[in-house]
Amino acid sequence: MKAVEDAIRSDAPATRVVVVEDDQASADVLQRRLQANGMVVSVAHDGRRGIELVEELLPDLVLLDVMLPDTDGYDVCLRIKSNSSTAPIPVIFLSARGEVVDKVRGLSCGAADYITKPFQAAELLARIDAVLGQARNPRVPRLARSAERAAGERRVARVAIADGALRAHVEQLLATRFDLAEDSDTPDVVLLEGNASLPADAPEDVAVVRVTAGRGSDDRTELIPVDVQLPRIVDLTVREHDLDHDLQSAAEALIVLAAAIASHDRPSTGHTERVAARAVQIGRALGLDESTRMTIRLGALLRDVGHARLPGSLLAKSGELSPDERGMLERHPVLGEEILAGFKRLSGLLPIVRHHHERLDGTGYPDGLRAEQIPLEVRIVTVADRFEALLADRSDRPAVSESEAVRILQGAVARGELDAAVVAALATQVRANGGN
Amino acid sequence: MSESIARLVMRTTANNLPLSRDDRPYQWSTTTYCDTLNWSIFRAAQKGSAMQLRIREYHRTRPQGVMNPGAAWIEFKDDEEDTSLKERFGVSMDVARAFLRGEMALPDPDHGLAERAGRLLKDGARPVVVTQYNRLAYNSLDTAVRITADHNLMYFALPWEARDDNDHPSPLGSLLAMEPDVIVEMKWYGELPHWAIDLHAYLKENTREERPSKFIVAMRWLLGETDGAKKRKK
Repeated sequence: MKAVEDAIRSDAPATRVVVVEDDQASADVLQRRLQANGMVVSVAHDGRRGIELVEELLPDLVLLDVMLPDTDGYDVCLRIKSNSSTAPIPVIFLSARGEVVDKVRGLSCGAADYITKPFQAAELLARIDAVLGQARNPRVPRLARSAERAAGERRVARVAIADGALRAHVEQLLATRFDLAEDSDTPDVVLLEGNASLPADAPEDVAVVRVTAGRGSDDRTELIPVDVQLPRIVDLTVREHDLDHDLQSAAEALIVLAAAIASHDRPSTGHTERVAARAVQIGRALGLDESTRMTIRLGALLRDVGHARLPGSLLAKSGELSPDERGMLERHPVLGEEILAGFKRLSGLLPIVRHHHERLDGTGYPDGLRAEQIPLEVRIVTVADRFEALLADRSDRPAVSESEAVRILQGAVARGELDAAVVAALATQVRANGGN
Repeated sequence: MSESIARLVMRTTANNLPLSRDDRPYQWSTTTYCDTLNWSIFRAAQKGSAMQLRIREYHRTRPQGVMNPGAAWIEFKDDEEDTSLKERFGVSMDVARAFLRGEMALPDPDHGLAERAGRLLKDGARPVVVTQYNRLAYNSLDTAVRITADHNLMYFALPWEARDDNDHPSPLGSLLAMEPDVIVEMKWYGELPHWAIDLHAYLKENTREERPSKFIVAMRWLLGETDGAKKRKK
């Protein structure tokens, strides 16, 4: 635990390194050397602890011995590289095994470098710098931009145009409405000439306006002519871009509504949030990107919003439903889709809302879709929903443990109802958390 | 078997057989196996008789996905109780993807395996599970004896999906399991030379566990039919 606490206590932006080395003396020397160079070092003396430390700390770098008491370094490296959370962390092997086959094997496991012992400290540090330099993303993190902006504050524009005369002209036009970005400023909008690429250090989600010295174009890439209208068009582009960011706020309001409805429908509170959190975890385990995970989260939170159009007596009824009642209840995905269809910016969630009761074998509702007709995001929410439902007491059956719930879902996989890979991702999580 | 025993076995093998030209040491083999929604291929394989359909790729470093652009091998393996028949077609991954989508037939001169595979695809067979491993392979020049050692063997789930673009690999799903041991296989036909008879006896003595096929092991993990907490025989 001390290694974790030391690393967490350190809030300086130092490079955090996990050293996995079974030889105490070697580990001490390495730790002192790295600490002397401003790095925060955590040490594990076997492979199992090494993997635990890497998963807990998500360090910037792992230095890994090949020969370990409980397993070998190749195995540890493969486990790091097979976990989507830890896969991006660079690994450097440190080993006395210096044959070509050993180096090839280490690098083929996904290591960034392989250093043979004994090594000179200067060489080790140089290689660490090189590996970290390649691994670091120079882009500004997406959440680093301030969400708040004081009223009347001017937007910041960066003119990334190579042609000096055109750049000066554009800057002159924009100066009436925008502050022009200095090197250290984070711009709200970047102006590029034609199809030029966004500069590597530009924020990932910045608004972009492409200009032309000519008369503009109507092909696939919209080019804005450089004339007196340019500041107004750039301003509109930035506002539209901000609206996209506000989608999250609008969705949150809907989620509050959906949660209020769900609290009437279900005896256990927080079910909807647990389904959303579980679905996001599964999405992460399957390596889905942040944007897709956000869609999954919002879709999971809003999936039952159609209940708002069903009679309260039907939702509150316990015991067996009549065929008519069941038919009415099974309309809730379609009703939910109708409610949300008016929100154009929520269109990405609609498949989750409409199809979260579909089954791979075509026996689900409302459309009886089969297998790959059901998007992966939907299949993830379906599994999370069924899993969390099994963990709660219901009038017709008691709650089951997480391990038992996984077994029940694996039965549904065997019958062809659920995606095996999605349930496998869930099972891996439950096992890793020691499933109750 | 353990890595130390496997090293001894492969050292003896290397003294008697040349390295296989098709398999480079520490090259990664990635095999993507197909099955249907009701797992008909797996169920048949467990009974000892199945027609397997798989896509194999080779890479110098371990790829994070499957069906990467480049070369691929489409393989059909027909296991019966006493015989096993295998056919493989070297194609581009574009062709392999088109074949899986049922858009392209393969030449089928001799054994009818490609035609049977086409029927499996029509019945809904899709890529579902993946193995990745390093293979060291030796075989005699007449291919009468082949000995392989697979280590770093990993089993992955693969989310069920329809791919209609050929440019992007499919990302691997969860790591289902890793084999702690080295899987050594010895295949031959005809009479074994003396050194191979001795080696076979040594292999039998030192085998920790005789394993079913990688496909069966992977599918058991995928469907939760293996107890991950079960202790291995030491």
